[in-house]
Amino acid sequence: MAAVANRSRTFALAGIAALTLVAAISLRAITDRAGDALALPAALADFVALSLSVFIESLPFVFLGILLSTVVQVWVPQSIIDRVLPRRPALRRAVLSVTGVLLPVCECGNVPLARGLMMRGFTVSEAATFLLAAPVLNPVTIITTYHAFGWSDGILAARIVGGFVIANLAGWLLSRSADQSALLTDGFRAHCEHQHDRHPDSRMQRSLVGIAEETSALMPALIIGSALAGAIQVGAPRDLLVALGSHPLWSVLALMLLAFIIAICSSVDAFFILSLSATFLPGSIVAFLLFGAMMDVKMLALLRTTFTARALALLTGLVALCCLVIGWGLNLVA
Amino acid sequence: MWREQFDRYWRGLLLSGIGIAAIAWLAATGRLGWYVHPRYFWFTVTLCAIAAVALCAAVPALRRTPRESAAIDAVHDADVDHHHSPGPEPARPARAALMRVLPVIGGVLLIASTAAALLVAPPTTLSVATAQQRQVNTGGGPAGDAAAAGEDADHDARDWALLLRQGGGALVEARTAEFIGFVLPGADGSSDIFFAARFVVSCCAVDAQPLGVPVLSPDWQADHSEGSWVAVEGVFVANPDVTSDQPVVLRPFTITPIDEPNDPYVY
Repeated sequence: MAAVANRSRTFALAGIAALTLVAAISLRAITDRAGDALALPAALADFVALSLSVFIESLPFVFLGILLSTVVQVWVPQSIIDRVLPRRPALRRAVLSVTGVLLPVCECGNVPLARGLMMRGFTVSEAATFLLAAPVLNPVTIITTYHAFGWSDGILAARIVGGFVIANLAGWLLSRSADQSALLTDGFRAHCEHQHDRHPDSRMQRSLVGIAEETSALMPALIIGSALAGAIQVGAPRDLLVALGSHPLWSVLALMLLAFIIAICSSVDAFFILSLSATFLPGSIVAFLLFGAMMDVKMLALLRTTFTARALALLTGLVALCCLVIGWGLNLVA
Repeated sequence: MWREQFDRYWRGLLLSGIGIAAIAWLAATGRLGWYVHPRYFWFTVTLCAIAAVALCAAVPALRRTPRESAAIDAVHDADVDHHHSPGPEPARPARAALMRVLPVIGGVLLIASTAAALLVAPPTTLSVATAQQRQVNTGGGPAGDAAAAGEDADHDARDWALLLRQGGGALVEARTAEFIGFVLPGADGSSDIFFAARFVVSCCAVDAQPLGVPVLSPDWQADHSEGSWVAVEGVFVANPDVTSDQPVVLRPFTITPIDEPNDPYVY
């Protein structure tokens, strides 16, 4: 009897949640009928449109990342992880850096996945290696980059090799830290520690509660990151950046800055930068494709949910330096 | 206690719900393409549908464990704060109260502004101001065979703009064209030429690049406002102004004002 009542209550609560969602859709339909009465000034409307485009493009990837993260945390047995991954740290990181081939999620979807790995017991350096490599070393990114550039100027090869090297270099450097957990925020560290203390009724229960927790951690960061990206788009004229296209060093810096502020998904960034390929040198394109896949303004907001500001500054500086060296070097030899 | 529960569970559910509702409505009304490339439609809608089911299922699941785990974490967070606070003095009551209230206000503001942007503000496409901020005819893909393929009657503003980039416009001279675009003033502020332009989107609206065809129409400002949409029909001719950046321009037979199309971007 109690079980039946409990089940009824569960369905009732889920039904209320679904009705709330329908009410929100209805609200959207009603406000749309207000037409120009709710229209915003042009600059503000552009800011909202640009921010929403980043948000809407990223949201499904974040959901996918959260779902995959839940699978890794709750449903994949530890014995499989132990069997598949090597024990030697460097080899383990190298294998993790190519797991993006199996989990093709763009960079914002990789944040919840990397959080899931750390909650599952992976080290910070291992999660960071995966986080940096997976947006580059995944089939979607590789195919779109090939589709955009083919084998010309070594752009595709430089992106693949560069992504692997930078991610493993960053992972190795982080692994040298005496206390890797000090790179994490207090909140996330506490969250990881309590993962093992909880004993909910079932794996399904753990999964659903975990999804609620992860959306609460990541959604504010995604929204703030999207708003920042939109604001920068409205405020920063691109002409200045494009004007620097033919200089071996400045063009690399310009495109890295563009990649940082435009916050475009790594799976399609090749199509975007293809349109500027006639203006910029190949090394600059490679720097754009590498840096943008690993770091941008939206990613920093998402990563701040997990890493300390100092750790993020270190990671961003290292990735930027590596991309700069690779891009500049390619420009000099091209 | 309620604040911990809200921060830990309900904030994400609310924000996700707002996002899912907005995307569902945009997809249902055919306006998702104002924000992302059509290649993402199925992926976006499918993932949002899966997330909607998961979030609805999560609501009853939170009934059992939230108080317990939030309480554990609240205690732990207090421990962490205690261990990390360097000063021996306890925080003043007023300041402590403020520190408790500020995150709540921030959370409410975030949810309210997200709802306002996604559920209240009318959906819009990018304005001419953004087009003016971005260089015209620098993006939109390589000027190549794709643009040259097909009949002239099938070419849109992007195709003609790409063809114009090839060989200084020699490819298009004496050809007639008919297409639509929004009125974009030239960078040099010329009163004789405007661009009939379209935004070209490769991923989402953030990467939209304006591509346009220079239209020779002296004193065009008298008849057309910036950003208004027009249908243009004309023939490509050498620009009589030899000092202009545009060696070839479209001399229009007709310029007809039209409403903004349902699909203002080209992909």
